[in-house]
Amino acid sequence: MTPPAAAPAVSTAQPEDFFQLLKPRVMSLVIFTAVTGLVVARGELGWLSSAIAILCVAVGAGAAGALNMALEGETDALMRRTRGRPVAAGRVSRNDAMTFGVVLSLFSVMLLGMATNWLAAGLLALTIVYYAGFYTLLLKRRTPQNIVIGGAAGAFPPVIGWAAATGTAPWQAWLLFLIIFLWTPPHSWALALYSAGDYAKAGIPMMPVARGAKSTRLQILLYSLVFVPVAIAPGLTGLGGLIYLAVAVAGGLGFLLMAVRLWRSRAGDQPDKAEAVGREAALYDVRAEAKPARNLFAFSILYLMALFAALLVESLTPTMSL
Amino acid sequence: MRLTPEQLAARTRRNRALAAVLVVFIILVFATTILKLQGNSDEAAASAARQTAAQGQ
Repeated sequence: MTPPAAAPAVSTAQPEDFFQLLKPRVMSLVIFTAVTGLVVARGELGWLSSAIAILCVAVGAGAAGALNMALEGETDALMRRTRGRPVAAGRVSRNDAMTFGVVLSLFSVMLLGMATNWLAAGLLALTIVYYAGFYTLLLKRRTPQNIVIGGAAGAFPPVIGWAAATGTAPWQAWLLFLIIFLWTPPHSWALALYSAGDYAKAGIPMMPVARGAKSTRLQILLYSLVFVPVAIAPGLTGLGGLIYLAVAVAGGLGFLLMAVRLWRSRAGDQPDKAEAVGREAALYDVRAEAKPARNLFAFSILYLMALFAALLVESLTPTMSL
Repeated sequence: MRLTPEQLAARTRRNRALAAVLVVFIILVFATTILKLQGNSDEAAASAARQTAAQGQ
């Protein structure tokens, strides 16, 4: 295994490198879903406490990302998508990243507990331990179901937001959890279908590596068939209103259509595009036969954002609800 | 051990960022404390009002 580039004895890391350790892209989705959970819950938390709560959730999620990068530096160095990360590229040492992650985890959990309640803080702590410990250390390298089980870590933020606002985590909060949980496999496997070479090189048993592209395409379709009805459910249970229902149904049909197209395609049958493709471009610039996978990957992000945006809009303008 | 200008500049930037983050953290803890104190005093006032009302009946 190729080790990450050695960090210099005296660090030349910049503050931006430490910011990158927080996985800002992932953090933006975490913030968005946590805000939605907090607003939809209609608790009595003041705006300042709400802002502190969201900041804590964002920093806690970022801390989990930093711990993940500290633990995965060697693996990240092997994959195009991740080899520019601070630890993999040798700009930040593994120990510094680990310390950064642990300190931020402790501070974010404690502050969330002080500012809101200890249920929310406990859920945040659980999320960090689940992602950095359970998923990164145990699951990721052991089972092709890694992303299915590990996906729970990304699904906690709306529950934490809800708990922060009300001190409780009722079934509505867990319905939001379930939406993200079931969204994760089709989303991640669509990406894995055209990055399988990278995962194989890094020794990670992602579904296309472990079971092949054909089986992965079928599983994406099956998960999509379960995911879309669950995504529509808030519109039928009073959690969402007419806007939500319209977005969930229309987007859900689009999601299923793309999943069927992907299932009928040959995406992932050929090795992914040459190393020459840039790290960022590799996410979207793919072989012609892999385009259904790329389309589903991109649309899945849009759909999830649209679902939570609809809930948010309806909560902020209550007359639009059913 | 003498640091190179690059190492020195990076360390200075990191220290400044750390100082800024610490200041923000102190402000957040202070704000949280004030909010909690305010909440407790509101609760105490409401409780006292309830007690007075109960004694008046």
